[in-house]
Amino acid sequence: MLANLQNHCCGIAPPDLLARLAIEGDIHQREAAVRALATSAAIRSQRAVLGHLDRQLNLNIGKMIGFSVTPDRRLTVYDNQKKGRPFLPGVRMRGWGEPPAEDQAVNQAYDGSSATYEFYRDVLQRNSLDGSGMELVSSVHYGVAFDNAFWDGAQMVYGDGSGRIFQIGGLTRAVDVIAHELTHGVTEQTAGLVYSKQSGALNESFSDVFGSLVKQYSLKQTAAEADWLIGAGILVPQLGAALRSMSKPGTAYTGDRQPGHMDDYVDLPDNNDPRNDNGGVHINSGIPNHAFYLAATALGGSAWEKAGKIWYTTLTKHLHPNTQFSEAALATVAVAGELFSSTAQTAVRNAWLEVGVLS
Amino acid sequence: MKLTVRRGGGIAGIVARTELDANVLPPPDAAVFTAEINRARMRELPDPPATSGRPDAQLYEISLEETGLLFSRHYTDDSLPEDVRTLLAWVDGRPERIESIEQ
Ligand SMILES: [Zn+2]
Repeated sequence: MLANLQNHCCGIAPPDLLARLAIEGDIHQREAAVRALATSAAIRSQRAVLGHLDRQLNLNIGKMIGFSVTPDRRLTVYDNQKKGRPFLPGVRMRGWGEPPAEDQAVNQAYDGSSATYEFYRDVLQRNSLDGSGMELVSSVHYGVAFDNAFWDGAQMVYGDGSGRIFQIGGLTRAVDVIAHELTHGVTEQTAGLVYSKQSGALNESFSDVFGSLVKQYSLKQTAAEADWLIGAGILVPQLGAALRSMSKPGTAYTGDRQPGHMDDYVDLPDNNDPRNDNGGVHINSGIPNHAFYLAATALGGSAWEKAGKIWYTTLTKHLHPNTQFSEAALATVAVAGELFSSTAQTAVRNAWLEVGVLS
Repeated sequence: MKLTVRRGGGIAGIVARTELDANVLPPPDAAVFTAEINRARMRELPDPPATSGRPDAQLYEISLEETGLLFSRHYTDDSLPEDVRTLLAWVDGRPERIESIEQ
């Protein structure tokens, strides 16, 4: 079978075997398997399968086989049917431009992805997460009572929530949470901030910043009008109102440990212990989050007009995987001067001074 | 024999703890519990290689105590073995389990 694969036979090889070879085989087997997958009529009709492989393997399958894997398709939502990782993405429920589905979670993932896509296109002139029109794939109803939403390096994944941390159905309800997750994809494609300690907290903070901005943009709120909360109304009420507060870090829910100043930085090891949160990435993100809030409110007007553009240019052009807080801060100050004015620069510098990152 | 499951990371970074003590289970269920734990082979198999770096990935710590700590294993949603997932689903379905949020 393996030898045959290299001789472009493959017409009868089952797609799951081909997919396994495309992932686990040597370079020749992978190429042969990918070509066989791509030319199979059954698979060709489900280009999302190819798109998923493409993203998982970091291959450009479209280029290899001479057609676009995702022709003019912005987003597709799938139902994982609670089956978990082996069944990603799941059953296709709603593609770009199609009418609403029966399932509310499907429509919420669709609307949130669409709002995020439009924000990046219209405000930041970015064509999807990779800047080249990459399809936004989401799967809802992931796993059983799964209390999380995450970016898996290829797509968005949403659990239903258990009612223990997240309200049931809460994880697809907040557009800022959806934009937060999708922004992890932008960061991965640009700065590549390592998800550990300070670079990880910056990674988290950029996701909160653009998560909040997508929400503010869709509500047409100024920086002064915005609530600066991430995930408002999706936690169980006894835990609290939201996941994070950018204006008042540490106040979003009972047990919120986010600092808003470097004096209170929580130095945790990155050792796979769930209590240490990859070295406090969701804890210390409060510091750059608060700096963004301070800069945006000082600059005034709509936060996406100035502060958002400064942070976006910084993320996509001036950072590297191991950037720490102070380097990111200095980069935003420099970009504020390049894009706007010395007044803007002062506002941004003052924000970082106030949270103790610059001195 | 007590199993403690901690789930953290995730988009919230909140740690939820679930404990189940075999002593509070009816003996036939305690036997099933022991069998599920043995089938997951956590004592024999070391932690899988760290796959940190996935934003908002769920992190798991699963510990078993008898008179002292027998083992403590760490996984991500990526690396969680299927038999361990089955064990967790079984524990999550027991009314005797104790759930709490760690602050
Ligand atoms: Zn995140």
